[in-house]
Amino acid sequence: MPKILLVEDNEMNRDMLSRRLADRGYLVVLAMDGQSGVDMTKSLAPDLVLMDMSLPVLDGWEATRRLKADAVTRSIPVIALTAHAMSSDREKALEAGCDDYDTKPVEMPRLMEKIEALLRKAGKEVPSPTETAL
Amino acid sequence: MTKQIPRVEDIETYAQDIVDTVREPLLMLDITLRVRSANRAFYETFQVTAQETENQLIYELGNGQWDIPALRRLLQDIIGTSSVFNDFELEHTFPVIGRRVMLLNARKLRPGSHAELLVLAMEDVTQRRRAEEEVAKATKASETANKTKSLFLANMSHELRTPLNAILGYSEMLREQSVRRNLEEFGADIEKIHAAGKHLLALINDILDLSKIEAGKMELFLETFDVSGMIEEVASTIHPIVEKEGNTLHIERAPDLGVMHADQIKVRQALYNLLSNAAKFTHQGHITLQAGRELMDGSEWIVFRITDTGIGLSSEQIVKLFQAFTQADASTTRKFGGTGLGLALTRRFCQIMGGDVTVQSVPDEGSVFTIKLPAIVRETNLDAATAAVTALAALASAEDGNGDAKESSPSGNCVLVIDDDPTQRDLIQRFLTREGFHVRTASSGEEGLRLARQLRPIAITLDVMMPGMDGWSVLVALKAEMVLRDIPVIMLTMVDDPKRGFTLGATEYATKPVNHARLSQILRKYSCPTPPCPVLLVEDDPAARGAMRRILEKEGWNVTEAENGRVALECIERERPRVILLDLMMPEMDGFEFAARVRRRPEWRLIPIVVVTAHDLTAEERHRLNGYVETIIQKAGDSHEALLSQVRDLLNDCAPPRALPVPDAVELHLPAT
Repeated sequence: MPKILLVEDNEMNRDMLSRRLADRGYLVVLAMDGQSGVDMTKSLAPDLVLMDMSLPVLDGWEATRRLKADAVTRSIPVIALTAHAMSSDREKALEAGCDDYDTKPVEMPRLMEKIEALLRKAGKEVPSPTETAL
Repeated sequence: MTKQIPRVEDIETYAQDIVDTVREPLLMLDITLRVRSANRAFYETFQVTAQETENQLIYELGNGQWDIPALRRLLQDIIGTSSVFNDFELEHTFPVIGRRVMLLNARKLRPGSHAELLVLAMEDVTQRRRAEEEVAKATKASETANKTKSLFLANMSHELRTPLNAILGYSEMLREQSVRRNLEEFGADIEKIHAAGKHLLALINDILDLSKIEAGKMELFLETFDVSGMIEEVASTIHPIVEKEGNTLHIERAPDLGVMHADQIKVRQALYNLLSNAAKFTHQGHITLQAGRELMDGSEWIVFRITDTGIGLSSEQIVKLFQAFTQADASTTRKFGGTGLGLALTRRFCQIMGGDVTVQSVPDEGSVFTIKLPAIVRETNLDAATAAVTALAALASAEDGNGDAKESSPSGNCVLVIDDDPTQRDLIQRFLTREGFHVRTASSGEEGLRLARQLRPIAITLDVMMPGMDGWSVLVALKAEMVLRDIPVIMLTMVDDPKRGFTLGATEYATKPVNHARLSQILRKYSCPTPPCPVLLVEDDPAARGAMRRILEKEGWNVTEAENGRVALECIERERPRVILLDLMMPEMDGFEFAARVRRRPEWRLIPIVVVTAHDLTAEERHRLNGYVETIIQKAGDSHEALLSQVRDLLNDCAPPRALPVPDAVELHLPAT
């Protein structure tokens, strides 16, 4: 079961997204700020990180920069989740080293496509739709 | 037959009757400023009797409350020089009637059998001035309110979205769960919650975008992309909507479509909005999207044309079409859904990218919407560009139904270019537009004046040589109108080589005899940081020079006099003035050559020049001037950068506060007109 680390400080967003990912056959671990996001990526080695950008302690951009600067975590794909259509945020996310981005509120089919594409590219397992009945 | 000699008493009665008929209060003064007589209007206006007035010195009237130093000095000046003064504006607290604004005119009567006399006429303009102040205040207040509103909306929309996203997310999850657990009976209701939430979110997003544009905070994310590919993506997204009403979508792409450099998301959204609109208002018909590349005004444009066979629009509906919150018909919202903001946004998006949307339609037959965008959207000063759009938008909504909305866009940061030569017009326009100014053009003096009244631009560039009404006449007309006289004018004329031009830099203009109020009003714009500041007065007539010197000194300026252009140049070498007051007709070196020389020195270029000249230039004089300017041009030309730097500096220095895009930089006094 692929492991996704969701770094998100908003409780409702965290709850929704983690449950919907779990429904689709993923193991979801949660972090609530950028610093613990970095720490947990190192200790848990997830297959993919979903990173909110405006986070307390350490923001998503800086957290991503640190992950991409570290040889241990560099190869783990990071998807930035940015607020609605702020092109400057998108730019900044890619500059920080994010592998892809998606806008909030998330549209599950679109986000799933991006997650699956990155996992496949990294040679990881992708849960089959039949497993999840969705 | 003996000629009847009229009696002196009869003549006096006759004269007094005439004077009493005049509605303006009049005072007849002798040269010691003692009141000889007054008219009925004077007694009525100031509520005093003849006994209290006649044979009193003017400054003793009302127990000394008429002792107004400025007035006394002006009257004494007239006695000395046998001249007149016109339209001196005086605000003063008078006995009984209180604080009033009076417009004063005085002249010394021609010598005759009577003793030397002055006539002082007074017009009470208090109401008019108060009304003008109110209008200015109200305009400013509404501008501030509009900006505040936009900022509020931008912030508020953000706050609204957070809980709404939770509603949307959880209703989506419930829908997924209802499918999984076979609870289909809940599915339909959950779907309705979700659909309503999505509609609300779309509305909030549109409001956010609109208020961002209006607050000048909309950013463009420019990238080069394949137009054909983008169209395909839009087409696939729009397909379900097109098919819902049984319509077909036909796409025609020109073979040379290629790539464009623009904000892809906004282009896509504009196309999507127009297509979904077409689909919504067409039933079992055809929708066509044509895309091509066209050459216009020497640059390449990408043109999208969306044609439908739908219900069409009446001309009244078209007028309201692009305004925020006004769908063609209020009932449309209920019947067809939609936020009512799609078209307004589409137009704003296109405008901030330097293009526009237009529509043609026949009711019951269909509509054609056309988007024109530059193939290469330039990175301009977006704040300025969006400010122009904002101003346009504000006007469009205020105008409500006047089809001429675009024609009468207000200032924002509008610069009016008046030039008869289309090439020059286009050149200056493109140049200034690229710098973020909103440019409107006029091809003749008459049109220029009309647009100036309508647009109240923050600056005007004015060609000197034009057929019909030439630049000088336009300048005179501009400066004669109260509402236009404070707009900085840059006089310029161009040589054949379009890269070289010449600006006279006549930023101000006043007519002779210069009246005090007007001059101090002009000078107020060039405020002196640490008085007294040096002002250079270039004028060959010693009397005129003396009169102006007195005014200037009273206003706290340190005056240097020069009797012609050559002497004036020497003066500037010695001390750089803050402002130059310049007569045009002078011996040795006249005003125009002087101005040209000043403008040629980079370090002097930005000294404001106030041209002071006789009210009416004759045709011959103008001809002479134009000829003169032409010879100067051929000697030296300034680059467009110089023109631009003048525009910029003018706007920084002396634009009326409403014109400045950055509120922090606003000077908080309005010109007193």
